[in-house]
Amino acid sequence: MRWDRLARELKVAWAIATKDMKIYYLRTPSLMFGILFPFSMFLSFVIGRNMPISQAIPILVAQTVFFAASTIGPVSIPMERRLQTFDRFLSAPVSLLTVLLGKTIAGFIYGVGISLIPIAMGLSFFDSQVTDLSALAIGMALSAFGFAAMGIMFASLPGQGPGEVMMPLNFVRIPLLFVSGVYVPVKDLPSWGQIASAASPLTHTIELIRLGLGGDSFFGLGFNVIILTFYVIVFLLAGMRFHILNQKRE
Amino acid sequence: MEHVIEASNLTKYYGDFCAVDHISFNVEKGEIFGFLGPNGAGKTTTVRMLTGVSIPSDGWAKIMGYDIQKQSVEAKELMGIVPDISNVYTELSAWDNLTFTGQLYGMSKSDREERARELLKMFELYDRRNEKLEDYSRGMRRRVCIAMALMNRSSILFLDEPTSGLDVQSVLTIRELIGKLNHEGLTVFLTTHNMEEASQMCDRIAIINHGRIAAIDTPEKLKRTTEGLQSVEVSFGATTRDILDGLKRLPGVEEARKQGDKFRLYTDDPPGVLSEVWDYSNTNGLKLITVNTLGPSLEDVFVKLTGIREEPRKGESKGMMGQRRGKGGIR
Repeated sequence: MRWDRLARELKVAWAIATKDMKIYYLRTPSLMFGILFPFSMFLSFVIGRNMPISQAIPILVAQTVFFAASTIGPVSIPMERRLQTFDRFLSAPVSLLTVLLGKTIAGFIYGVGISLIPIAMGLSFFDSQVTDLSALAIGMALSAFGFAAMGIMFASLPGQGPGEVMMPLNFVRIPLLFVSGVYVPVKDLPSWGQIASAASPLTHTIELIRLGLGGDSFFGLGFNVIILTFYVIVFLLAGMRFHILNQKRE
Repeated sequence: MEHVIEASNLTKYYGDFCAVDHISFNVEKGEIFGFLGPNGAGKTTTVRMLTGVSIPSDGWAKIMGYDIQKQSVEAKELMGIVPDISNVYTELSAWDNLTFTGQLYGMSKSDREERARELLKMFELYDRRNEKLEDYSRGMRRRVCIAMALMNRSSILFLDEPTSGLDVQSVLTIRELIGKLNHEGLTVFLTTHNMEEASQMCDRIAIINHGRIAAIDTPEKLKRTTEGLQSVEVSFGATTRDILDGLKRLPGVEEARKQGDKFRLYTDDPPGVLSEVWDYSNTNGLKLITVNTLGPSLEDVFVKLTGIREEPRKGESKGMMGQRRGKGGIR
């Protein structure tokens, strides 16, 4: 691909992302599944426990980046499919990867933006400290991108509304919380749980965020980054593959 | 002749159901090509395959020589698409819808803004360019949708039922505009189930039914294929079911159909039937209001080629006949 072609594709991806920001960020399903859902789950977990706030903040950050980033695709794509605006992308002179990249960027920015709120709260009002900025930044960026791509992948499931995508997505998202060292640290899990948690992308999100905010990583920074990068690629390619299958089927 | 659209053996299966069955045709540069068929005939599926939205199960399509699957970017650069529903972003203004479309086509900021201004003025929407489309009427949204399809100064415009469900004024405005754009050199691929629209606007028409092309020709040549089919149209002071039954029994009448307040009598011998109608009206004390003799219409060709005549007469307003009554037939 020539550089001017690549630049054009990236501009189109950005145009799709900014359009999605205007239209879908404040939609009810985005607010409900992207913000309300992780915050209420977090509160139901921490209220009544004697957990230091510095330990709780990484959990909230990981949950918000996980839920917020993976919500925008499942809100925007089914709605665009129902209104046939998604056909505009399919008939435009751009690659499918560019379209999905644009949608992923919209989810990425939403995920990063929302998860910055608990970080800012922790730094401003509690005793949280950023001890490893690169681990925190890489963790949030890779996680937001990967989970946004995961949302796009689920959004390729046939369905005409966000609810039809959210249901199977939550069927995956919620169990992941329990095997990813969010509520129970990985070191305290049984050996089969540790193996399962190594395969979960959310494990590596929480580990990198804990590392960034003064905690430690069970698997180590390098392994965390490799696994998250692997999932970014897998989710993007699988999403693309599923969308092509849709084009064949529809 | 330069083929701007070529379709060869284009096929689409939905599971075991064959929606488009190995169709082949060409569209020449500068023509308005009509794709006429009843609902479910495969029109929209064909357009979706031609525009790269849907992947064919078999066959191929080329847009100005570019394969829509293998050279999709080059092919898609050349086309504009107006789907059967106005797929605009109602949360955005007309201006934002158009400039976003320009971005999808890689137009520079100055170019897309200039083009958006030009099109909004052409469609008489410029004064309301900053209003969200949720405040627009259906006809106005349709105009925005067509303007979006023209943003990239395409060579080919795909229009899928462009006037369906619109008020008369919007229909006339859109037809006039399509004619003007075609006069300026734009090739138009128009799918419709409105025979009046097809007959008035198209240089050539393909009639599609059950996923297969039944005929392709100019409207007048298609009409000539049913030259033997003539009819007499009459209306009386009253219209009752008994009159239709009586007219059906008249000598020389092969078939009689009630169309609104008129009766259409198909015959090989219009003068003979006219005489019979005159006698019938006198005998039954009916006052003749109008009498017309009619040649075959595109509607007749359609009915003959698709074989749907018997079905609507039994089921009355179902399917195509229902639409014909709603849209008005060819006179």
